[in-house]
Amino acid sequence: MPALGPPEAARWAAHCGLPLPADRHDVVAATARHIHSVVSVLRELDFGDVPPAAAYRADGAHQEEEPLHAAL
Amino acid sequence: MQPYEMSLAAAAQAIRQRRLSPVELTDSVLARLEQVEPRLQAFVTVTAQRARRAARRAEREIAAGRYRGPLHGIPMGLKDLIDVAGEATTASSRVRAGHRAASDSTVHARLTAAGAVLVGKTHTHEFAYGLTTPQTRNALFPDRIAGGSSGGSAVAVAAGAATFALGTDTGGSIRVPAALNGTVGLKPTYGLVLRHGVTSLSWSLDHVGPLTRTVEDAGLVLSALTGHDPRDPASLPPNAEPDARGLRIGVPRTYYFDRVDPDVEAAVRRAIAHLEELGAHLVDVDIPMTRYIQATQWGLMVPEATAYHERTLRAVPDLYQADVRVLLEAGELMPAGDYLRAQRARTLMRQEWARMLADVDVVAAPTVPLTAVPAGQESVTWADGTAESVSDAYVRLSAPANITGVPALTVPVGHDRAGLPIGMQLLGRPLAEAVLLRVGHAYERTRPVRTAAPCSGSPR
Repeated sequence: MPALGPPEAARWAAHCGLPLPADRHDVVAATARHIHSVVSVLRELDFGDVPPAAAYRADGAHQEEEPLHAAL
Repeated sequence: MQPYEMSLAAAAQAIRQRRLSPVELTDSVLARLEQVEPRLQAFVTVTAQRARRAARRAEREIAAGRYRGPLHGIPMGLKDLIDVAGEATTASSRVRAGHRAASDSTVHARLTAAGAVLVGKTHTHEFAYGLTTPQTRNALFPDRIAGGSSGGSAVAVAAGAATFALGTDTGGSIRVPAALNGTVGLKPTYGLVLRHGVTSLSWSLDHVGPLTRTVEDAGLVLSALTGHDPRDPASLPPNAEPDARGLRIGVPRTYYFDRVDPDVEAAVRRAIAHLEELGAHLVDVDIPMTRYIQATQWGLMVPEATAYHERTLRAVPDLYQADVRVLLEAGELMPAGDYLRAQRARTLMRQEWARMLADVDVVAAPTVPLTAVPAGQESVTWADGTAESVSDAYVRLSAPANITGVPALTVPVGHDRAGLPIGMQLLGRPLAEAVLLRVGHAYERTRPVRTAAPCSGSPR
């Protein structure tokens, strides 16, 4: 995947409704690249049928009964 | 001992027995606050008049035989993300200029009903999005960081400027400053303490909990926050014998002792050995999915925080501090796919942690890998030659409990060779706060913690 440069960061942000002043392009692009480098490690996981945990109960009710499987 | 130095439990007992009045206690705490605040900057707002009114009311009620319980007449600080009707919730940010909370947060309503006395709102790293709380100084060594984001709450409690305080914890923000200032901090199970009226950093990771001087105190505050419940997670029998018999304590073979300062590791391992002397059975455990912890934490937190600030980031971007603004802006560029991968990784991580916690009652580990760094230090280089930002280091050992929702308690277990406090983290099964409190209480009964910080100069 090509690295995100300042012009792309500016275009993406504008597309999201956040026009960035020119003096923000470099620093936002650099931070976005760093965040991407951290989170992209999750692409190694094969999630199979595992659903997102957007809503859950911390005591695990209804979930521990049927463990979910994925290739780690 | 001055009243401001007393633990919550000791002050409550003295008040109940009418050896101490809430007015005396509040005056003592406010005088201490006035003395240390110019140096420490723990508070955004001090509510002295309100506190004295509440203390007089508590005194009258108790004199009339209407004792509400252990928090009645006890001075507290609230992190300034927590709404108090009629007061500003500044989030330590210029973005909130002119703010007034229309109603009470659930936690403030519960603490007020329990009779607690608000002495002030404490500083947070702006909107809780950081680990240092730069406005505030460490309670023991003012040239060191307070830690964050609940830095003001930890410093206020450590210095005697509040008998207890509340903080919030999204990636360690209760436990990190508690450890760095030598206090107890409890991040309860996700969902146990209600967050209505508490400014969010990241909905799926945010928790509210107490910072106190003792584990026993943390249990008393948790009881008031959660209300009566037959499963009361906080009940500790008074003067319980220090006892960890029959408990299986997991000692991580992986992750929690990697890239940890040798003094921190030695202190925590000594504390774990002491738990074995108290009757616990130590069991080696392997922490699951460690490679994906930071990625999952960031994948959840970054887009959720950006979403919360969507409007103000567009309306008043210049009012944010530089470090917070750039994270919010960059968060706009994260694809939904990254967020969903993080949520799916969390599903797996929760399942793996449940499997690990089926074999042990508690996992014992360091709270943070290093003690409080000097203000301004931004990175740390480890013995293996790797470098890490200070913020990443402080979050590293805390994040698993935020991702999985399990409860986590930090307990002071000593000092490094410079005299800086070290915390041991106890992690347990969901809703097993009582087990964490039992272990922590057993430890502190036999290894008493220091009371209100002397607020000295530089580390030795």
